[in-house]
Amino acid sequence: MTQLLQVVDLTKKYGSTKVVDTVSFELEEHTSTALIGPNGSGKTTTLSMLAGLVPQTSGTLQFQSTARQDIQSIIGFLPQYPKFFSWLSALEFTEMAARLSGVETRKAVMEAKKTLEFVGLGDSLSKKTGTFSGGMKQRLGLAQAIVHKPKLILLDEPVSALDPVGRRQVMNLLKEIQQETTILYSTHILNDAEEMTDQLLFLRQGKLVEQGSLDDVRSRYAEPRIIIEFEKEQELQRFTEMAPWHVSANGLTVAIDVLTEGVGMPAIIALLHGQSFLVRKIERQTASLEEIFMKVAVI
Amino acid sequence: MSGFSVLLKKEWRENSRNFKVLWIPIAFIIFGILEPVTNHFLPEIMKSVGNMPEGADFQWPEFKGEDIFSSLLGQYQFIGILIIVLAFMGSISGERKNGTATLLYVRPLSYGHYFLSKWLVTNGVVLGSVWLGILAAWYYIEILFNHVDAWEVFAFIATYSIWIVFVVTVVLALSAWLPTGGAAGLAIFATLIFQIIDSLIGTYWTVSPWKVAIYATYWFQPNADMSDLWMSIIITVLFIIVLIIFGSSMAKRNASKTTV
Repeated sequence: MTQLLQVVDLTKKYGSTKVVDTVSFELEEHTSTALIGPNGSGKTTTLSMLAGLVPQTSGTLQFQSTARQDIQSIIGFLPQYPKFFSWLSALEFTEMAARLSGVETRKAVMEAKKTLEFVGLGDSLSKKTGTFSGGMKQRLGLAQAIVHKPKLILLDEPVSALDPVGRRQVMNLLKEIQQETTILYSTHILNDAEEMTDQLLFLRQGKLVEQGSLDDVRSRYAEPRIIIEFEKEQELQRFTEMAPWHVSANGLTVAIDVLTEGVGMPAIIALLHGQSFLVRKIERQTASLEEIFMKVAVI
Repeated sequence: MSGFSVLLKKEWRENSRNFKVLWIPIAFIIFGILEPVTNHFLPEIMKSVGNMPEGADFQWPEFKGEDIFSSLLGQYQFIGILIIVLAFMGSISGERKNGTATLLYVRPLSYGHYFLSKWLVTNGVVLGSVWLGILAAWYYIEILFNHVDAWEVFAFIATYSIWIVFVVTVVLALSAWLPTGGAAGLAIFATLIFQIIDSLIGTYWTVSPWKVAIYATYWFQPNADMSDLWMSIIITVLFIIVLIIFGSSMAKRNASKTTV
């Protein structure tokens, strides 16, 4: 994989407050990265610095073979609440966005139409943006962010203001876009991050407190357990007496901590099978991203 | 240059779709017509509805067409400038505040082009309005008063236009520098209130942008000394250039203050 962007010690201070504090990470081409953190953790400021809206106090942004002044032409940015000129139609706005990002005049209208159709606004080309609903605005925001085919798309909470249907639609669009470009998006809706991410970046009070792939982070924080549900209580009793591991029982189920007990599924199944236990269900559980989030980003 | 033409088109669309290209000329034309018409009919209006005592005979001053241009200038210098300040004080600061600027500023934008596009379109709208207003006044002056030479009127319009461009530039530069409220306040001070200051204590200096409007009426006086006019025009043009540069750099510096 080729590296698209390297961020080193990115810092933003307002007065003496560090909003973003020595954040470093890398983005590979054609990957999607989720920036996760509670409100006020510095997600929007980080994205704004990458988009060239806010100058960083210190640190460097190194884009693959691109001079700083040209960076904005290879970036697409969608703010959390995109605002449009209400007196422009969707097509006029998207065409303007394309041309300002350097798309040729002749191609701009065509690209704008194609993009609007892609995001599902094909029927609203000549509608004024002032009449758009929240979901339509988000989709138009996405259209203006991708119309010039940028190498990197920065999305600030792309779906958090949408209802479940709108969210589903936008997530599906993002998955399609992801195949052709690199995405960095902030979110606090962890289901979305679980669904579409190659890399997770956890921010807390401006600091990058954890990063890695979903599997990496899971294995570090997930505390995997094996849960066994028995048919009868006597079976459970028999199991707790025979098992050489520490188990915690609750009703008809027992839980065994995989890491502290150093035990795997095969050993447990061998025991259950060898002693002919009557088992209703056996599964390996890992903590959800939400539990990890609470551990990493909040505390 | 393609970015510049895109921005010009955007500004033109904005001003036409929010009807500024309609109501601003109408306002200036109305004042342009009212000035000669009310001055002409004032004695009769006063006679019929003025509650004058029986037998009172008031001697109205005899106005000439040239005087009407001067009194129209008085109207434009107050209400006209107020209209310009109020209509355009949020041109840049408003875009920052409501967040519409964000999706412009994330693109490879020349802030010089950004400021100039607003400057050109705003001046187009305002100058067009002022010209139409003065031409409307001229038409009624020709009908109701006396003939005024065309070259005098056009010299008056041209000179006054330089002052108007100065006002527009001040408003836009302040809008690039400050939030809308501050821009409006300072713009009103710099254009309206400073005129009064300049006329009160400005007798010590004769060359000033704030005197260009008064000098514009010198074209109607056959023996007026024009030397101060030319120097004032040069100073005003220099002010305008400096303000354009200031406005462009302020628009760039304040880009990070846009609502994300």
